[in-house]
Amino acid sequence: MSTMLANLQEWYRDRRAKLDLFDETLVDRQANPLFLLGPMLYYFWIVTVVSGVVLMFWYEPTPTGAYNSILRIQHDIPFGWLWRGMHKYAADGLIITIILRIYRMYFLGEYKKPGELSWIWAFAGLVLAMISGITGYLLIWNQRAFWAAKTVLTVPVFFDELTAKIPVIGEQFQVGSMIAYLFLGGPAVGAATLTRFYALHFGISLVLLIVAEVFFFRTRRRRLNMSLFPVLLFTAMLVVTSYVLPAELGRRADPNRTPLPILSDWYFLALYQYVKYTPPLWAGLGPGLLIGFGMLVPFLDRGKGRRPLERPFFFVVGLLALVYFLVFTALIMFNIAVIEREPPLVLLTTILVLSGALVWEVRYRRRQAQAPPAPPPRPARAEAHT
Amino acid sequence: MAQDQAMDRRRFLKWAASLPLVGGLVAFSSPLLRFLKPNVEPFAVITPTAGDIVTGEPVVAATLAELAKPWDFRYFVFTQRYPQYTPEGFKTQAVPGVIIRLPQRIRLPWDWVRTVGLTPQFTESDVIAFSRICPHLGCIYNFVPEWREVTSGYGGYVPPENRRHALMACPCHLSIYDPADPAMPGRVLSGPAPRPPRTFFYTIEAGRILVERVEPGGIA
Repeated sequence: MSTMLANLQEWYRDRRAKLDLFDETLVDRQANPLFLLGPMLYYFWIVTVVSGVVLMFWYEPTPTGAYNSILRIQHDIPFGWLWRGMHKYAADGLIITIILRIYRMYFLGEYKKPGELSWIWAFAGLVLAMISGITGYLLIWNQRAFWAAKTVLTVPVFFDELTAKIPVIGEQFQVGSMIAYLFLGGPAVGAATLTRFYALHFGISLVLLIVAEVFFFRTRRRRLNMSLFPVLLFTAMLVVTSYVLPAELGRRADPNRTPLPILSDWYFLALYQYVKYTPPLWAGLGPGLLIGFGMLVPFLDRGKGRRPLERPFFFVVGLLALVYFLVFTALIMFNIAVIEREPPLVLLTTILVLSGALVWEVRYRRRQAQAPPAPPPRPARAEAHT
Repeated sequence: MAQDQAMDRRRFLKWAASLPLVGGLVAFSSPLLRFLKPNVEPFAVITPTAGDIVTGEPVVAATLAELAKPWDFRYFVFTQRYPQYTPEGFKTQAVPGVIIRLPQRIRLPWDWVRTVGLTPQFTESDVIAFSRICPHLGCIYNFVPEWREVTSGYGGYVPPENRRHALMACPCHLSIYDPADPAMPGRVLSGPAPRPPRTFFYTIEAGRILVERVEPGGIA
């Protein structure tokens, strides 16, 4: 028992020493833009936080005032459009870099020893960024935001179907409704919801900022490992985009009318299509399992190989996730969802592809077992600065 | 060896001492959860309580003259009052509804009416009133008088021959309901909805249809 605890502590200390939040240890490989994603992540995050604080000067978190205050920021206040555009597009940039970086870490096997902890932080970062995103876009109080908040917070209510199966206390123990109530501040989206979302939207970044600062302080690493040119380039991109393509406002929220068609922010579109396909309980369980799988990948994939073809099963799982993300997003944008036809097709494809991947994995391992041992691969990453 | 055992004993004692400590902390902090949900009893944060029950005002949804022909319908709004955790405390919320004249008489799905302490005057009618809050994830669905519009605008669902009449369809996740299904009014024809939409209980007074109560359940 105590040796197990000691081992666990040692494991954790080891991973913590090699922790790599923003690719600080990969600076010498930045000629490849894939390894610039870490510093980009930090850059976009800081821009989002700073512009967000500036927006707070003018934003009014009430159902009657929110939309008007954003109209004012966008059209009346000098450079309001710039701050708002920077906030929106830097946040989009943040999500894009997190997703690309996660795929890079996945396909290059960077989550393997000693990168487990770095991977878990990267993945938790994605989840928190998406929560920050959905709580943030409610603040505009437009139609898209209102209905997104409403549907997202109705999903946990269906967890009550599960907890109701617990004997004796099941009927009383409505965890799902409790979660929804705590976020909504009542049984429907209203003023309380707006306040709570505002607190969460800012609070997530605040807490993570402190965590990142503690990390930088203790490791003595540089914060932004990026030369001046990309910094200027990305800043120019943000400014030009905010000018050419002003961040949109949408229509004011109307609790009595759901527009047709209605879409979410771009990074939720695939999930949105998935929710159309499944019974509502699975709308909550599916993403939950996906997050669980993502967090546990380093412990599920025990193979030594880092290159994609050296671990066929997990390579195919990653590809499948990428393909589904793109296909579902495309389908929902063209408003295609024939609900009798598509879910069985998707299920069948998933089962076929995954069993194919399993066969590939088994055959690969058998061949490995027969072949003479390969020479040790060169280390995939440089040692951490200390 | 003896040294090891002494350490084990110490660890055991630490464990034994920590359990009541943790328990005490939990007991102390659980009322603090009320910070998030103040209008409940201590230790009852988990379940929605009597304070969360919504109440509503009766409203005239339509007159019988307005629903003379089959498939005539009217949208109406039923107002509910429910607690909200803001300094003001309460908020009114509109529950949009639709009242429809069906082509034939059906048995109304009003089993819930008795559970809220009301007695319906009749159980069969050709007029039915649905809450337009989608039982899937709470969007407001539409009454679509022409089924072809459902096919073109709501994801390509083609109803079977015997259901090619007015349908109800939700813009969010494309659930489609048949208001006139004789066995289960509001039957889910397509989409992820887990059940038919909730219904309103109404009475008829001097040719006016008075909506009294909405079927409880779900988050508005």
